[in-house]
Amino acid sequence: MRESDVIVIGSGFAGLIAAAAADKRGKKVTVLSKGVGTLTIGGGTIDLLGYGNDGRPLANPAAGLAAIEPAHPYKKIGSPAIYAAIKFFLAICESAGYPYLGRLEEMKWIPTAAGTLKPTCLVPKTMDTTCLKSAHTVYAAGFQGLKDYYPHLVAKNLSKLPGYDKNYEIVMVNPHFTDGRDVSALDVARWLDTGTGRKECIRQLVKKVKAGAVILMPPVLGTSPDYQVLEEMETALDCRLVETVAIPPSVTGFRLRSMMLNYLKTAGVRIIEQVSVARAIMEKGKCLGVVTQNIDRERTYYAKNFILANGGFYGGGLRAEPGQAIEPIFNLPVEAPAKQEEWGNRQLFSPEKQSFAKIGITVDNKMRPLAPNGSIAIENIFIAGRNLRGYDFCFEKSGNGVALASGYQAAMSV
Amino acid sequence: MECKTKGSSVTSFQGRGNSVEKATVVVIGGGATGVGILRDLAMRGVDVLLLEQRDLVYGSSSRYHGLLHSGGRYAVKDAAAGKECIEENTILRKIGKHCVEATEGFFIRLPEDDKAFEEKWVEGCRKVGIPAIPISPEEAWRLEPNLTRRIQSVYRVPDAAIDGFRMAWQNVASARRYGGRVRTYTEVIGIEQSNNQVVGVTVRNFFTGEVEKIACDFVVSAAGSWAGEIAGLAGIKVHVQPDRGTLLAFNHRLSSRIINRLRPASDGDIFVPHGSITILGTTSSPAESPEDNLPSTQEVLAMMKIGEATFENLGQYRLLRAFTGTRPLYSADPSAKGRGASRNFVILDHEKDNVKGFASIVGGKFTTYRLMAEKMSDLVCRQLKVTAPCRTAEEPLVEDPSPGLLEKARHYFPAYGTELAASRLGAERLEKVVQSMEQDPEKRQLVCECENITLAEVEAAAQDSTSHCLSDVRRKTRLGMGTCQGAFCTFRSVGVADSQNLTWGQDTNKLLQEFLQGRWNGIRPILWGNTLREAELTRGIYAGMLNINGVIDNEGK
Repeated sequence: MRESDVIVIGSGFAGLIAAAAADKRGKKVTVLSKGVGTLTIGGGTIDLLGYGNDGRPLANPAAGLAAIEPAHPYKKIGSPAIYAAIKFFLAICESAGYPYLGRLEEMKWIPTAAGTLKPTCLVPKTMDTTCLKSAHTVYAAGFQGLKDYYPHLVAKNLSKLPGYDKNYEIVMVNPHFTDGRDVSALDVARWLDTGTGRKECIRQLVKKVKAGAVILMPPVLGTSPDYQVLEEMETALDCRLVETVAIPPSVTGFRLRSMMLNYLKTAGVRIIEQVSVARAIMEKGKCLGVVTQNIDRERTYYAKNFILANGGFYGGGLRAEPGQAIEPIFNLPVEAPAKQEEWGNRQLFSPEKQSFAKIGITVDNKMRPLAPNGSIAIENIFIAGRNLRGYDFCFEKSGNGVALASGYQAAMSV
Repeated sequence: MECKTKGSSVTSFQGRGNSVEKATVVVIGGGATGVGILRDLAMRGVDVLLLEQRDLVYGSSSRYHGLLHSGGRYAVKDAAAGKECIEENTILRKIGKHCVEATEGFFIRLPEDDKAFEEKWVEGCRKVGIPAIPISPEEAWRLEPNLTRRIQSVYRVPDAAIDGFRMAWQNVASARRYGGRVRTYTEVIGIEQSNNQVVGVTVRNFFTGEVEKIACDFVVSAAGSWAGEIAGLAGIKVHVQPDRGTLLAFNHRLSSRIINRLRPASDGDIFVPHGSITILGTTSSPAESPEDNLPSTQEVLAMMKIGEATFENLGQYRLLRAFTGTRPLYSADPSAKGRGASRNFVILDHEKDNVKGFASIVGGKFTTYRLMAEKMSDLVCRQLKVTAPCRTAEEPLVEDPSPGLLEKARHYFPAYGTELAASRLGAERLEKVVQSMEQDPEKRQLVCECENITLAEVEAAAQDSTSHCLSDVRRKTRLGMGTCQGAFCTFRSVGVADSQNLTWGQDTNKLLQEFLQGRWNGIRPILWGNTLREAELTRGIYAGMLNINGVIDNEGK
């Protein structure tokens, strides 16, 4: 019987961080992955904490952490572990040649495809907005055929925001894709992955942009976790390039995911892909192993400890039925309002957090699941990511932030 | 907005001189009945203007199950209504074939349903002339494998599915060809009289609040659940009790046919397939007001329970949304309530109430909208001394696109998109959309993958004079009404609106929020299963990533 020290269920950002951190501690780690997690949807920024409970923007994420409510995962994890998690992540980025920028004491406001700004904490260099502050001319670039990006919309809305009243010009690049085919940001990024694509893009842009300006781009600057596309284009155009946050598929998320997978593979972490964990083998209140289902067979994986990082409702780590929420593998207790009417506020974009978003598993400060009476539900299981109770990542802008901190903390606890 | 005026005989109206808009007849209400009257009168050569407080079919005409009744539902209780249904059903299949999906229907009796009622029903159908063909349960299961095995008896009837949105737009398209005019987002706030004769209406623009007068000789109220309020403007009491009905849309076609329970009309027992979805309806409870249209989880769960008698695995299907409409039940006797009240329509000539040139049409049902329009138009024409006969039962609403045009369209539309777009648009508008796609390949992009709607079609709908927000575009195109409920197409359509430089397309964060809130109203009561997953995705995109609602920190800059 082959036994791991730790089995991580789920390969979203929380699971990948947990696996990396457990490996760093010398544990033998196996990752069981069903899909690709939400990195490729939500993007490659690490939002720590942007808004307080009153919906007011925080001066910086650290200030928000100091005042966080007791039920929030950040409160359980505690500031020292959050600092350590950020340090751990930034070191991985650095070693991968894809360094991220940012720190807990600084709020970064980055432009989005809707022409709004969103508060975040850690970003790739392609999203560094310092150059925007001093820029006079900003080019909003678009790609012909790219259907989910409207440079005019970005420029028009940004120009109304404080500090963003610049001279905007729209520049279009024609990637010469087949007529009428639907083109996503990923297609354009793959085009720019190629030498000929970059050359052609530069050839078209160089005629339209003045040196020294800033070019706002859709997130298309290559699919690999490096800055080769960024650097080559910045040098050739003598301009600074800034990627915006856009709707899925997320190229920046693809890069971050690739970086993490490369890191884990180099470290020798075993990753089993396309397996779905169906049930657990329990003995005396402990989990001995989990049974996975693949297309043709079942297989059992044994471990001393398990990190459950398979997502919330969207990812499938939690399931909802009218008036109740279920954790399907271990049947862990999930707190949810008994009255279905109270799951959602009347307004979708409500000035208060949504109850359904806060539904999840209650944990102690080691990320162990708790029963309603406060006792530990299962000793050797640790929870990380979206299935945690008590946070609304959309409202407070903590997407990837809670995943990072809880994934790290779970790995420290195994 | 088209505001040209044809010659009107109005002389006595005290307005702002020549700048006052005029029409011979003003129709209030852009539901099925209103657009039916608009078309009927326009075809008879009457100068007619329709005023709608919001968008067309804002009220009950889009908030129902989309069933073109065979009449079977009324065969026992109300033979006259049953007869009207089967006659109108036959007519609408012919004139509105692009809005009708001829699915046919089953009436099924389960063990708990009264056998004696079945006998009365068979006799009722025979008397009214509704073809009800008995088949064996085995045959029914062969045709509809999802149906419960508990069926006792089954009858086939000529029920059909009908698209309320499309029906309204095609009526308007037809009316416009004859000079009929439409103004949406125009609320009637006063009915002007001179010597007990109607001389015009006062209206208010929903967006700007601007008030103006429109001169006319005759006012028809086809305001549905609001008919009481409109009559009240002329000091007349019309007792309309809006009655709530909640419906569910499933993201699957559970059956090929409409499935009715063979029992007296009751809650949650009709399934109507439309394209790739199925609608289950409906509940009945008194509404607080015509705008009492937010569905509740309680209603949803109650209906699911009843629906499971027909499809036992109902709980496994993904719910798209719930929605609520109000039936405009009219009763001369104010104590009759809910399904106890008659579903027949009544025309009230308010000359009896001492106001000449004003009539209300109340009650009725979608299936008989054309007949209701005909009867109302007959009355108007008698009074205006117009002798032209009604022709709405003979002429199709829209012309069929030519085989040549369809052939051309197939080059640009994805797979089955051609047929869908052709039936949505009709020949005239399809031609324009195809032209745009021919000239610019980028216009062939799908803005909405769920419903196969191209950029060219969204642009055309957005530019129409009656479009003032994204929901108006949605009702014309079905944008955002499919599987993703706006998760992706909302952003795209805002991008399109922005690029078109439309007056209403400026505040894009507001457009995004408004549209998604509309979708949310139908999702919030059913936040479980895959519906909840979709809601998480949508919110993740618009709030989590794009931060379309968050306050932006000045100091952060």
